[in-house]
Amino acid sequence: MNKQDTKGVLVYIETAGGAPVKVSEEILEPARQIAAKSGSDVTAVVIGENIGDAAAQIAEKGADTVIAIDSPDYKDYNLDAYADVLRQVIDDVKPEAVLIGATQDGKDIAPKLAAAFDSASASDVVGIDFDDDGNIIWTMPAYSGNILYDAVIEEARPQIGTIRSGTFKKLEEAPKGSVESRDIKAADDVIKAVIRDSVKEMAESVNLEEAEIIVSGGRGMGTKENFQQVVDLAQLLGGVVGATRPAIEDGWIPRNHQVGQSGKIVAPKLYIACGISGATQHLTGIVNSDYIVAINKDEDAPIFEVANIGIVGDVNKVLPVMFEEIKKIKEEA
Amino acid sequence: MNILLCAKQVPDDAVEVSMGADGKPAIDKIDKVVNAFDTYALEMAARFKEAAGEGEITVLCVGPDDAKNGLKNCLAVGGDYAYLASDEAFEGSDMQGIASILKDAIRKIEADKGIAFDIVCTGKEATDMALGQGGILLADKLGTGVITNVIAFDTDENGVSAKQETEEGYRTVAADLPVVLTISKPDYDPRFPKIKAKLAARKKPIEAVAADALSDEGKAAAGEGNAKLKILRSYEPPKKESGVKIQEESDEDSALAAVKMMTEAKVL
Ligand SMILES: Cc1cc2nc3c(=O)[nH]c(=O)nc-3n(C[C@H](O)[C@H](O)[C@H](O)COP(=O)(O)OP(=O)(O)OC[C@H]3O[C@@H](n4cnc5c(N)ncnc54)[C@H](O)[C@@H]3O)c2cc1C
Ligand SMILES: Nc1ncnc2c1ncn2[C@@H]1O[C@H](COP(=O)(O)O)[C@@H](O)[C@H]1O
Repeated sequence: MNKQDTKGVLVYIETAGGAPVKVSEEILEPARQIAAKSGSDVTAVVIGENIGDAAAQIAEKGADTVIAIDSPDYKDYNLDAYADVLRQVIDDVKPEAVLIGATQDGKDIAPKLAAAFDSASASDVVGIDFDDDGNIIWTMPAYSGNILYDAVIEEARPQIGTIRSGTFKKLEEAPKGSVESRDIKAADDVIKAVIRDSVKEMAESVNLEEAEIIVSGGRGMGTKENFQQVVDLAQLLGGVVGATRPAIEDGWIPRNHQVGQSGKIVAPKLYIACGISGATQHLTGIVNSDYIVAINKDEDAPIFEVANIGIVGDVNKVLPVMFEEIKKIKEEA
Repeated sequence: MNILLCAKQVPDDAVEVSMGADGKPAIDKIDKVVNAFDTYALEMAARFKEAAGEGEITVLCVGPDDAKNGLKNCLAVGGDYAYLASDEAFEGSDMQGIASILKDAIRKIEADKGIAFDIVCTGKEATDMALGQGGILLADKLGTGVITNVIAFDTDENGVSAKQETEEGYRTVAADLPVVLTISKPDYDPRFPKIKAKLAARKKPIEAVAADALSDEGKAAAGEGNAKLKILRSYEPPKKESGVKIQEESDEDSALAAVKMMTEAKVL
């Protein structure tokens, strides 16, 4: 698309169980920023079956227009179908920018759209700004978050960005928008991969991203039995259980508890790291925590470099005492 | 079954990268390795090939000359052939550019050898920039289907069936061949090379692909001048200050001291 022909921001709203996922609401904030800069509008797109409520909700949360594509055809997510529907909407709306939450599916859709429009996509964006010409400056992490870099997409349009969860806050106040239903069919020949079966393995969903307290365990917990102490402390504190990749690979806790580069990026008020070394792939997921407490027997463990309190000691001796002491405080309160 | 694996060379992901004096990430002194996800993909492909009792794995990298070392390692752990697409004209390419180079290189290899690749594997993402775009962009250019975040796959007369990891479980996704698969971490680790395989790999050639393999479309996409995404600057994020370390006489005392501090900090 020609740069001059594009205007406004298009936001893709991912839903789960009929409701917008958290990051989809968050991305309305940068969308409004970009639209304000160019004096244009925010259009949101919701695709699925029975997504009327989600569409209405988004019209209250910062979109001027919500395009609802509600059809049994889109009951289940399919990358090829969803990307083609979005392609058609983009062809029509001609936005300067497309924002997508950096969920697993969102990160698949973005390059699909970049390919369709021969444009470019900024991955896992953790901040936006503008240069003197009004171009969007996208800030992204590299090398497991050890480096940040700023980039611009000068000419190619629409420019696409997947936004990391937690980067922006949901808008508290937003203009009221309208919902518009549209019937858009994915082109017949685009569907090249078909989902035969979708299995929910994890019994409970784990809301690490919104947790205020997280107690995480790593390989240093030693055994599955010992890992239970992490679970118990999390429960006592009313928090959520996190884990490193080795703890998950050893089968101590399901995969949806993983924190880090390939897991969840978290920002709790309190993060307690038990028997975790602090590899960059883990740290990148926790550096935005307000307060970090780490227990590790190795005084040189890198986790201590980011910890507010670092306890040098055996986690299996420290945790039981901590548990009892905190329990006492809770009971007294 | 002909499998092609796209393998990127990246700085060792176990080393913390900081900024250099020249305003660029200081990666020159860090050992270069094959991107972790590409090693997972190679292991998955090698297991597939072993189970099928037939097939060949070709490894392709776009990168500088020293990426040969990584390719040699791939040849020692399951790769049969290796190609390095290296040319000044490729430097500074963005992901669309790299995907175009990969596509043209694949077409050239296919033409030279009179074969067609059935399965193209990429990693889910590269550990340096973690874009997670390579496989999807490449599938678009090749005109094939793509299945992302794959942790297992198999083929039958209908094509490929893959287990795609999701946040809450997995999906079984089917597609025709040829197909692009982007590979995530399965629940096993890549094998270590045996000494004999290492020695044999050292003797195998690394074939070169140069800019003359590029199609017009590839020429229009490759290189810094054609990059649509332009990096302005890099920097280190503000570091979190480390706090206090507690190491009392006994671990029990340390635990009590920590809880006291946490209470004072009002985080409990
Ligand atoms: C591409 C890629 C992606 C990755 N993504 C992630 C990710 O998303 N999340 C993640 O966590 N990792 C990820 N990793 C893995 C990461 O590199 C580290 O290997 C991992 O974080 C280490 O986990 P750990 O701290 O539990 O184990 P280790 O590094 O083995 O550390 C265990 C720690 O426990 C301490 N310890 C041992 N016994 C005791 C004891 N009795 N008391 C107290 N302390 C004890 C040790 O001193 C040590 O510091 C990824 C790796 C790669 C290559
Ligand atoms: N320069 C390259 N050479 C070969 N393969 C690459 C290259 N860059 C990216 N890839 C492939 O694309 C995947 C995803 O990379 P990225 O989109 O950069 O995260 C990697 O795991 C590789 O399989």
